[in-house]
Amino acid sequence: MEKKTRVRKIHMTARERNDRIFAGALLLPSVLITVIFILVPVVDSVLKSFLDYKVKNIISGVPGTWNHFANYIKLFNSGKLGMAIVHTLIFVVGVVVAQFLLGMALALILNSNVRFTRFIRSIMMAPWVVPTIISGLIWMWMYQPQYGFLKFLIQQVTGGMVTDFAMLNNPATAMLGIAIAALWKQIPLTTLLLLSGLANVSEDLLEAATIDGANSVGRFFHITIPSIMSVIKITVSMSIIENFKQFPLFWTMTGGGPDNATTTLAILSYREAFVSNNLGSGAAVTTIWMLLMIVVVFVYNRIFKNVEMD
Amino acid sequence: MKKRTLAVVLAMAMVFGTACSGGGGQTSTEAPATEAAKDTEAAKTETEAAAETEAEAPVAADTEITEPVTIKFANYALLEAGYDVYWNQLLDEFAAANPNISVELVTAPYGEIVNTVVNMAGGGDKVDLMYGELDWIPGLVEAGLAAPVADILSSELMSDIYPNILDACSIDGIAYGVPMYVSPFLLYYNKDLFEKAGLDPEAPPTTYDEMLEMAPKLAALTTDDGNKVYAFGLTTASVPVSGACLTSSVHNFGGTVLDADGNLAIDDGFREAVAMWKKLYEEGYNPENSKLKDLRNLFALGQLAMYYDQSWGYNGVSSINEDAQNYIASAPPLKGGSGDGASVLQAGTLMVMDNGDDLRKAATAKLVDYIMSEEKISQYFEEVTPAYPSRQSMEDLDVVKNSSILAGAAGSVGNVKPVTFIPTLSDLNLEICTLAQAVTLSGKDVDTAIAEFETAAENVINQ
Repeated sequence: MEKKTRVRKIHMTARERNDRIFAGALLLPSVLITVIFILVPVVDSVLKSFLDYKVKNIISGVPGTWNHFANYIKLFNSGKLGMAIVHTLIFVVGVVVAQFLLGMALALILNSNVRFTRFIRSIMMAPWVVPTIISGLIWMWMYQPQYGFLKFLIQQVTGGMVTDFAMLNNPATAMLGIAIAALWKQIPLTTLLLLSGLANVSEDLLEAATIDGANSVGRFFHITIPSIMSVIKITVSMSIIENFKQFPLFWTMTGGGPDNATTTLAILSYREAFVSNNLGSGAAVTTIWMLLMIVVVFVYNRIFKNVEMD
Repeated sequence: MKKRTLAVVLAMAMVFGTACSGGGGQTSTEAPATEAAKDTEAAKTETEAAAETEAEAPVAADTEITEPVTIKFANYALLEAGYDVYWNQLLDEFAAANPNISVELVTAPYGEIVNTVVNMAGGGDKVDLMYGELDWIPGLVEAGLAAPVADILSSELMSDIYPNILDACSIDGIAYGVPMYVSPFLLYYNKDLFEKAGLDPEAPPTTYDEMLEMAPKLAALTTDDGNKVYAFGLTTASVPVSGACLTSSVHNFGGTVLDADGNLAIDDGFREAVAMWKKLYEEGYNPENSKLKDLRNLFALGQLAMYYDQSWGYNGVSSINEDAQNYIASAPPLKGGSGDGASVLQAGTLMVMDNGDDLRKAATAKLVDYIMSEEKISQYFEEVTPAYPSRQSMEDLDVVKNSSILAGAAGSVGNVKPVTFIPTLSDLNLEICTLAQAVTLSGKDVDTAIAEFETAAENVINQ
């Protein structure tokens, strides 16, 4: 076998060799960009998480000093890390599940023969094109407890019985308030992706199932879902990543409050690195954040490992 | 073969494009400068080289700028309505009067300007001057950015600043900022609402107890369109300036947050203040979890009877409701417990950074002198917002003496306690906000919330 391979290598034609060189040349830009802009910063950040490294180190050019895991020890002792991890996971799981269910429901409606489908499809994308910070500001005004639209609406609906409604000011509901804003912004893309998947489900298969007596629920779970599994996998993984790194909505709408109720890993990392100017500590949060994300994505991929990506 | 060549060319173009994309500078706008100044870049480089050889020589602030020079000025206010017109006009006038000095503006929103300046410096591009909050000084000093102002600014200007104000900008006796104007957290109140509630509009409360006596009458009011009126506003939302305002409230009660060495120093005054925050919330007097701008909105809409703000908060109020000048009045901060109503000093502050170039330092000093001139400060107080001058020579400024808005709080600027500057002051201020939210929104008892605050604050202080 080894001999055969060697013989093949020796007899590689000039065309094959050129093809390989050509393929390498085409890959080179992507590899370079990945290494320079992703791999190097990640490694640099992990290294800095073990150092006493502050803004003055950057400005003065003095390298950070090894601080015997002090950044990690401080984070674990502060009690904020565990809380931030829990808040992050609650937000990610809640938003991803709600986003998928609502996105799928909307996609199914738009894929049916309802009227004004084209019009709805066009305006549906509006929230997605609004910058995230602007979305945060819009929703802040909607939630504003004294003169916000939601307060007005609830006051009208309840006939003036509920006059005090402040979703972002209540530690029990603040996370929900941000999740609603995130869903408003992200559902359009999810719907669009799922809709593209639904459009490719085989009509023949659906028709055959109908002839065989399958009802609509059966057709949905046994034909539609399996047919668009690869689209679902991509859509959900995008949603997981998007919400794991969600920062602008939290920072704009609550700043991590009230009473730390919306302090996620993103908020904690920002406060450590850019409010306290302790870049080493911020990098430690980021490292833990990255590890957590790797674990989640690994588990997710294990669950969907049998899905063919075509 | 043609396709391959095309593919390789496109791939190379992509790499080249990516490499070039890193070469952009910071987002900035440039103030008008003379064409001559732009054309003599080479002369400027020579001047810079000459200046480097004499980097240690003291700067003559009154040096005439005969060579073209560019300085960078970071100023968030240029992006804020109500302030932008004044600043743009000032810079235009300065450019006209100093054709050799070109001012390159670095702008970012209020919450991002510090990071913008720090990031630029990290890339080797320091600004020369920055306008911002007094509380930004410790972070900028710790970062190695803010320079001692006495090394760069004119001695005439330095000797004219009130010593206690200069002390408030100092770390270890060295001043790192020059306030354009100052203010304590004073009490703004609505005279119309006082009258409507049967209270004397010329007799605002002087103590927290008096305020609590008046509050039920004010809280019983509604606006013409039926909205609730809040009696007393104290900002508690998670932004650093709210923490500064809450610290001021602690000082009202004679309490402290940090001792002179920067250690946590929680005392009875501190506890009394926290208990007051809780009471204000439980009685429904304080709009919950509000930022200063929320309180300004409510005050402008006639939904808030009293609130704590910096004097320049008036600008925010009047930009929403021009009629506010007819009902707004000020009073000194309230006295609580055994406290004497002391506050903390707030200031629109100019901070300088040393680029090692004497010409840039001299140009920066000239710009600061211009900004701090009586003419410009008077104009600022008249056209933008009322405040108290930081220069002794402006003690009798007509615009301040005749300000009906500031009259009630006259003298309160002399009753301020210095804030101990620690590098993580902004983060500590956020922890104070969390404490306020814990006793109000989360309903925790005062002792439990303070215990949690101590743990979090120690962690922040000992970074």
